[in-house]
Amino acid sequence: MSSMIVISATAVPDHLRGALTRWLLEVTPELYVGTVSARVRDELWAAVTACTNDGLAVLAHPADNEQGFQLRTAGTRRREPLDFDGLTLIAFKRESQETAKPV
Amino acid sequence: MTPRPTTTKPLSTSNARRKLAAPTVAMLPRIADSLSFLYLDIVRIHQDDTGVCAEVTTEQRGTETVYLPTAALSCVLLGPGTSITARALTTFARNGTTILTTGSGGVRCYSAAVPESLTTTWLERQTRAWTNDTHRLAIAQAMYELRFGNGTATDGTTLDKLRGMEGQRVKAHYQLLARQYKIGRFRRAYDPASWDTQDPVNLALSSANTCLYGIVHAAITALGCSPALGFVHNGNQQAFVYDIADLYKAELTIPLAFSLHASPNPEGEARRSFRHELRLFQLLPRIVTDIQQLLDPSRTYEGPDPEEQMVDLWDPVTGSVPAGVNHGAQP
Repeated sequence: MSSMIVISATAVPDHLRGALTRWLLEVTPELYVGTVSARVRDELWAAVTACTNDGLAVLAHPADNEQGFQLRTAGTRRREPLDFDGLTLIAFKRESQETAKPV
Repeated sequence: MTPRPTTTKPLSTSNARRKLAAPTVAMLPRIADSLSFLYLDIVRIHQDDTGVCAEVTTEQRGTETVYLPTAALSCVLLGPGTSITARALTTFARNGTTILTTGSGGVRCYSAAVPESLTTTWLERQTRAWTNDTHRLAIAQAMYELRFGNGTATDGTTLDKLRGMEGQRVKAHYQLLARQYKIGRFRRAYDPASWDTQDPVNLALSSANTCLYGIVHAAITALGCSPALGFVHNGNQQAFVYDIADLYKAELTIPLAFSLHASPNPEGEARRSFRHELRLFQLLPRIVTDIQQLLDPSRTYEGPDPEEQMVDLWDPVTGSVPAGVNHGAQP
């Protein structure tokens, strides 16, 4: 069973970008969308994580959980999936310590 | 070629901005489709320029910001150590998210805040049924019947007898599960004062039950019903919540709690697997349908048109007449 996947890759080597376009559509720079089988997805992701270097990559794909999808991340990054008793949200560090700016 | 969307009209930028700030009913996920609950503690929740975010501080990673999907959540449980700004609360209310203030680990539910843009159809049904003793008894019996199976609560069975049946069943259920998991004698104890010294099964059960109360509370308030007007339970602001939650305990929380008898972290584990089961059992849609069926057994209810005007005037003869119209011209 193939399903839709979305890969976002930032500051990754050119050869990786080129390689990804052979499986997926690059709908906007460094954002890839396509439909592949779970096996192909896992193989692709293994290759992506190995080539990410200093950049970062995110994979989102459908999963059998309450949210309906799962996230995987690779590389050095600011944003990290955080688990809240089964619900995944994204945590990130603010560069400067901003305070709330109520509108 | 880009296919053009045919159903939605193009919005002007200012209209679109307004719509995103205060979403219409049509833009929000239906209660049955949304994410069930999010538990937060020891965080600071505030509204920044665009969204609601929680500042999570952990020893390993320092302070991190987490944006909360307000419109996709049906219920947020706020544990101890949480502070939240009025602005953030307003956004939750606008997005139809129920906010519950709970004790540590989601045990105990102290208060709930309800969105104001709700239809009152179900509240009216509930109060009509509640104020009429015959009707109230019929619904209480229907609730027992939902738990014990069809035909168990026939018209002749008194509520007294049904209560007795329930007590025996729960006791037998505990015994059966205790034997199954080989944990000797089990006694249900709920003692918030000596919380940490309780056995894992009691901890898991209290934690899972409170999650269940939270979700049931969210479902009840999402329908616009009153959590205070119970049919079996009485005289408590959460009476109806307890009524509805009781329908699912034997099937959901009790077996789950016993299965965690050896867990090092029974509370968190209970919440996690409870969420998983929640999806398996599709609990929120089920609660909503069960409440609707209890309050409206003949199923005459039709979903409201999201475009429809929400306020009517009451008339003893015709039922309701449109509001916002000057009726002075009529004889």
